Amino acid sequence: MMANAITYQKFCKLVKTEVKAMTKTFKTLTFKHPLLFKLVKQLLIVLAVIAVYAWALQGLQVDLKLLKDSWPYIVDFITRLWPPDLSILDIAIVRLIETIQMSIWGTTIGAILSLPLAVVSARNLAPRWLQFCANFLQNVVRSIPSIVLGLLFVAATGLGAPAGTLALGIYTIGYLAKFYQEAIESVDPRSIESLQVCGASWLQIAQYGILPQVLPLGLGYTLYMFEYNIRAASVLGVVGAGGIGFELVNYIKGFEYNKATTMMLVLLVVVTAIDALSSKLRQRLEASYRFTHKNK
Amino acid sequence: MTIECEKITTPYSNNLNRPILNNISCKIEQGEFVSLLGLNGAGKSTLLRSIVGLVPLEKGVIKVNGIAQNQKQKHRPDIAMLFQGGGLIRQLSAIENVLCGRLGSLSAWQTLWGFPKRDRRLALELLDRLGLKEHAYQKTAYLSGGQQQRVAIARALIQNPRILLADEPITGLDILAAKQVMETLAELHAQQGMTIVVVLHDLALAAAYAQRAIVLEAGRIIYDGKCHNLPEILQAG
Ligand SMILES: Nc1ncnc2c1ncn2[C@@H]1O[C@H](COP(=O)(O)OP(=O)(O)OP(=O)(O)O)[C@@H](O)[C@H]1O
Ligand SMILES: [Mg+2]
Repeated sequence: MMANAITYQKFCKLVKTEVKAMTKTFKTLTFKHPLLFKLVKQLLIVLAVIAVYAWALQGLQVDLKLLKDSWPYIVDFITRLWPPDLSILDIAIVRLIETIQMSIWGTTIGAILSLPLAVVSARNLAPRWLQFCANFLQNVVRSIPSIVLGLLFVAATGLGAPAGTLALGIYTIGYLAKFYQEAIESVDPRSIESLQVCGASWLQIAQYGILPQVLPLGLGYTLYMFEYNIRAASVLGVVGAGGIGFELVNYIKGFEYNKATTMMLVLLVVVTAIDALSSKLRQRLEASYRFTHKNK
Repeated sequence: MTIECEKITTPYSNNLNRPILNNISCKIEQGEFVSLLGLNGAGKSTLLRSIVGLVPLEKGVIKVNGIAQNQKQKHRPDIAMLFQGGGLIRQLSAIENVLCGRLGSLSAWQTLWGFPKRDRRLALELLDRLGLKEHAYQKTAYLSGGQQQRVAIARALIQNPRILLADEPITGLDILAAKQVMETLAELHAQQGMTIVVVLHDLALAAAYAQRAIVLEAGRIIYDGKCHNLPEILQAG
């Protein structure tokens, strides 16, 4: 045992001296040829990236022949979507309005719940242990797929829009809490310190120091989430949690592709319109944000 | 009210290969006007920040009025600080920034729906005194650098401090604005007997306003004494 220990120590020493010598030669080499060192480093990075992609591709098990054979089916599916059947336009619009209503409430519920969670997750506000717990909670919420949330709330409140709205609310937390957290962490630390020195309490710092600084950015994120939730709501319909997706899936299941097309077109129009509107609004918010941060 | 720094040393900094502050001892009496000088990176800001508890200390203690301070406690009621660059909240209006100086004396419940009327009146008076009355309700981001500096001064004054630590209050200001700020500090010193410690980069201004100069170099005090013939002292050092 003793002898073993000594040999082990000797071994360690040997390794250490060896490593030291190696790093030394490496250092002198790179010091003498900085360009060569840079080249080798870049080459290694490129190789690593290629390796990652190759690894990911073999996981997919792409069958080129199958891909080729399935091509006609895809074409067939797409051609049968056309032309849209406009006779169900009224149903589509009713469903769409429901989807927007779900998104409004879902986003709002999510935003309200995200705010405190973001505050206790932020590096510059919360104690370390609270930060850890809150971030873990965020990860848990984020790793539940929206479909699962939809199923969960359908089981709880039955089929329909309320289930979808609640599911969206929870789903929103996963993203908005992180966005808000990052906005909070990017505030000017000196302005927070100055409030600490004034003797402000934790709550006062949040209200007077952090909130005004994160509000423009936070509103922009919330707007983006609202837009995103309209799309997410159409997926939730698949499990019967209200919104446009319910009808959409029913039409596809019943081979009424032309009606499904109408649904998708209406969705496209609305998503485009809301995107245009909200990106305008976000631009204005960001402009005010940038102005107030420019002289830092 | 005195400030005593006894052999204060900050934790070792790996970037600098030395502590940022290295065994600093000095005593500042009530009513002194001290200028703190030194090159960029000498540790002037760090010294002021350590006096208000924003920097942990490895060794040494800071005493205010003979009482050793706990560096975890960041609020020292009689000391106000002007931060390098102001440390204001740019999205709030000037008057709201000034009112933030009152947060230490009010509970979170009292400020949840805004500040008491008495405080608002006081803030307005201070802004008026500093020539900012018509800008009181403007967003701080829209004020000029000199105006922002004066808002920061008003925020310090509303705390009714006996000691004012000012970190480069006139850097970036034009000659007129700089003179205005220095005059304000001199007035506070003369009329209220306020202790002023101010970081400056201008030896002539230091000589004109301060009685005492402390010169830092690489985290150590290399000169502590009268303000005249500063250029020669710095040349020698
Ligand atoms: N939070 C920090 N972490 C690590 N190093 C820091 C930190 N703050 C300051 N330093 C280092 O400490 C040294 C002194 O900084 P300090 O800000 O006190 O200098 P200064 O004398 O105020 O300079 P200036 O005239 O530029 O304001 C600098 O070299 C800086 O890099
Ligand atoms: Mg400084």
